[in-house]
Amino acid sequence: MKRRKFIQTTGLSVPLLVNGMNLRAMPKSPVFSAINGENDKVLVLIQLNGGNDGLATITPLDQYDRLANVRGNILIPQGDLLEVGVNNAFHPAMTGLKSQFDDGRMSIVQSVGYPNQNRSHFRSTDIWTSGSPANEQWTTGWLGRYLQEGAPDYPTGYPNAGCPDPFAITMGALVSETCQGTATNFSLAINDPFNLNPLLDLEGSVPPNTPYGDELNFLRDTIEQTNAYGEVITQAASNASNMVTYPGLDANPLANQLKNVALMIAGGLQTKVYIVSIGGFDTHANQIAGDDPSVGIHANLLSQLSVAVDTFQRDLVMLGLDQRVLTMTFSEFGRRIRSNDSLGTDHGDAAPLMLFGSCVAPGFIGDNPEIPDNPGVQDAVAMQYDFRNVYGSVLMDWFEVAEDDVKNLLFADFNHLPIIEGCETTSTDDIKPELEAVAFPNPFSKTVNIKFSCGYEQVKLSMFNGSAQELQVLVNKKLNSGQHQFSYDGSHLPAGTYYLHLQLENGRRKTKLVVKN
Amino acid sequence: MDRRTTLAALFGRSKSDKVSKAMPSLATTVLSGLDPYTGPFAYEHAAHLLRRTIFGPTYQQIREAVTNGLDATLNTLFADQPLPSEPLNVGFAEDPEVPIGESWVDKPYTQGNIAQMILGYRRRSLSSWTVERWRKHGMSIREKMTLFWHNHYVTAGINDPNLIYRYITTLRENALGNFRELTKKVTIDPAMLIYLNGNQNTAVAPNENYARELLELFSIGKGPAVGPGDYTNYTEDDVVAMAKVLTGWRNTTQYTVPAGSEFVNSRHDQSTKQLSYRFDNIEIPNMDGNEYAHLIDVIYQKDECARFICRKLYRWFVYYVITPDIEANVIQPMAQIMIDNDYEVRSAIEALLGSEHFFDMLSIGPMIKNPIDFVMSVLNTFEVEYNETNLEVYYRLLIGTVGEALEGMQMVPYNPPSVAGWKAYYQEPVFYRNWISSATLPPRVNFSNRLLNQGFGQGVNMVKIDALKFTASIDDPFDPNNLIDEFSRILHPQPISQEQKDLLKSILIPGLPDFEWTVEYGDYVNNPGNTDLEAAVRAKLENMLGAMMSMPEFYLS
Repeated sequence: MKRRKFIQTTGLSVPLLVNGMNLRAMPKSPVFSAINGENDKVLVLIQLNGGNDGLATITPLDQYDRLANVRGNILIPQGDLLEVGVNNAFHPAMTGLKSQFDDGRMSIVQSVGYPNQNRSHFRSTDIWTSGSPANEQWTTGWLGRYLQEGAPDYPTGYPNAGCPDPFAITMGALVSETCQGTATNFSLAINDPFNLNPLLDLEGSVPPNTPYGDELNFLRDTIEQTNAYGEVITQAASNASNMVTYPGLDANPLANQLKNVALMIAGGLQTKVYIVSIGGFDTHANQIAGDDPSVGIHANLLSQLSVAVDTFQRDLVMLGLDQRVLTMTFSEFGRRIRSNDSLGTDHGDAAPLMLFGSCVAPGFIGDNPEIPDNPGVQDAVAMQYDFRNVYGSVLMDWFEVAEDDVKNLLFADFNHLPIIEGCETTSTDDIKPELEAVAFPNPFSKTVNIKFSCGYEQVKLSMFNGSAQELQVLVNKKLNSGQHQFSYDGSHLPAGTYYLHLQLENGRRKTKLVVKN
Repeated sequence: MDRRTTLAALFGRSKSDKVSKAMPSLATTVLSGLDPYTGPFAYEHAAHLLRRTIFGPTYQQIREAVTNGLDATLNTLFADQPLPSEPLNVGFAEDPEVPIGESWVDKPYTQGNIAQMILGYRRRSLSSWTVERWRKHGMSIREKMTLFWHNHYVTAGINDPNLIYRYITTLRENALGNFRELTKKVTIDPAMLIYLNGNQNTAVAPNENYARELLELFSIGKGPAVGPGDYTNYTEDDVVAMAKVLTGWRNTTQYTVPAGSEFVNSRHDQSTKQLSYRFDNIEIPNMDGNEYAHLIDVIYQKDECARFICRKLYRWFVYYVITPDIEANVIQPMAQIMIDNDYEVRSAIEALLGSEHFFDMLSIGPMIKNPIDFVMSVLNTFEVEYNETNLEVYYRLLIGTVGEALEGMQMVPYNPPSVAGWKAYYQEPVFYRNWISSATLPPRVNFSNRLLNQGFGQGVNMVKIDALKFTASIDDPFDPNNLIDEFSRILHPQPISQEQKDLLKSILIPGLPDFEWTVEYGDYVNNPGNTDLEAAVRAKLENMLGAMMSMPEFYLS
């Protein structure tokens, strides 16, 4: 009668998992192993609801004069912007993100969108969450399809001993459409991991095979999962403590969501995907305060985002989780090139997409958007990268999904983008404190000394520029264990920011170098 | 099946597989159409009709409807009603313009330190008054239609309560009126001009926000994208052209009275606007302040407007799955009725609610109640009383009981989450299921339990379910089996199983034979004033009713 019995009988493979027998002996797709524990990577999605104005978030400085002609009433003075990389600058509210960028923990993919951009919030959100082409309606989410590959029977038989935790968690009251599967949504919606009380359900009969029965089944499943997962979530969150102080709930609701996500990950929850969100980006009017373009609605939103992400990333580093967690933003579209007369911007096309974490390829991917000489009222930033290439690269490099599977899950024309820079899959215990290259003097103008330690292992040491291009490989061979020191002549390098990448067998670290003249 | 095929099925990729498995299979969906229903009108039919048209019908109302029959009940539901009296200042003595006990609608706001407090009390007054509409609407479909239009022509986050009052009153006055004319009224409604930036829409700087939603959400709806900027029913160029048509309208300033809007000729685009081939390449010449109304007449010449609103009405009153059969047998004939009536909505809705399709057994029960319907189905069905002697306390308790509960369940009136309304009525593929998550379920259970157990408020102002009074209204409450059957018929849309009834009985009389209930309840009835007996019987009833309202069957209508 009870479906819990069902769970036990269908979970025949559970002892295999529990006893740690070789999963590879089982017939399965790579995805299956990925969501069953071998891969411990976590993806955090930040949904920016409303369509974020990419040009005001990351301003291409080589286009600044053209922007001044067509969006002068909302454009922030160049001197107030925070310069990053080459010919780019962040909105002045994004100081926290600038420090993430400077630390090499941020990657920006330029002008992400899709062909035939739809400018309806709802339709475009559906496209971004489902991963469908613009002219097709898909009822499943891109992550829902991925998760369903590994757990086709979900929710029947879940949770179970081998899979005790929810696959995905949406922070908020509504489950995220990114996790919609064929039959059910793979994410659990929660507001507060510390306030989940058991619910009562008097089951007693199998509902009829009618619309009424379908809805009743859905309600019963949700109640059952709420109860079953509620306990493990609260337990996990209670196991952990944040290592840095987050802003209060009222000041920054997004930060509060990420604070709870950090606790759940640190507490040992095996959940693969978390979705958090912040709304209000539909800035048709008063995007900036009339007298000062650096403040206003958009500045407040970006400030919340910047503080929230920066705090979260610092917490993850302190918790030793930074190599396990990848964070990515998305928004249904960017906005028009021309501002309107209401100190706002209307629905547009492509916009930059931001990724955070210690395993991202730091810097910019792609060229700056090009602003035409005299853009029309309808003109928006042209697409440079299809969003499905970003999704697919995350699935491949982060969740270890095979390329053919990615093509099936997303689209046949998938092209891999170098967004992730091979952090080895390591458990947090393996990160050794000595995995660090120390450079001195820094900043330097001519010669820099580089010092690091390693075991008897393959070592790669390379110099990268601020745009994430590898300039030179300094070391690439097996070294004896112990401390090593090199002197490097950088007198040929133009002034600017560079990164030294130290790759050891158990991980990789970046050290920021500044060359001055 | 190989993996590629499985994946294709997952996507809903093939045309034939667009309806996901999350939805009922075609074999179990309703095939009947819009022909008038001529079968029996028994308790379950009357209960179905009333659950869908009013908030929380009572046992008495359902039985009266059975007695009166379907036609008479429909006539009552659709009968003209006077507008409710206006919201009051119930206790803010410092408002120089509005004495306590009088309406604040269209009364000036005082400037200075006290302005924020005046704004605050008027907002709270509007919230309380709104909850009262759901309590006191009686046998009228108008309140559910008013909420339908609020979900259709969304405004949200408007600060001035006077503007919200005007907006919702326009919707209420026209709730059973003309769809096209209501679109005209809403287009120049001051709250809408603020919400969708009509105020900023001028000849020199057109703001297309309203024009886009007018097409996509308010009138004709967006069809499939069949080409760049071509959404079958309209194109991107139409959005641009229509934004120009609508230039010049703005609201008179917020916080001044009376609430209103005005046409400012100097802000209006005087040019001739060219619509696309989707609107037969019609040109709209300059018509100044009448141009918007002409534009809406042009849009509504397309019959798709009727089909669009009929689909939304169907999802509001029946179920969210619209199969090709339902499209052909229900939506199309319903839309034709609306077209034949020049966009008057009443006949079309009446036809739907009196149809074979509506009374098909497969239509009964699959609607997940929205939070307002859920909350009011507790308050109204149990005829929960509020002490209205002290209006200030009464208004405060209306918010304390209902307003706060709705926040937790994610349905705050005058504040839908987006311009498309609440997700339950548009978000494919799960629609109503958007109301239910592990975050929104606990507030439902907490609400019904609190009303049963400790209640809200104190002393003479206590708001609480009176389980004994409710029980006394049932025929033969002495028989525990009959009691459970009747309670379930009131609270659940379809019969529950014997197993569930047994579980409920074990909560009412744990481990005891049936006659013990007859004895205990009889003792209580025969010994009025014996508080021990009363408390014991009440506690048992509260336990069982708490369980019955926590069952997911109670979330369905």
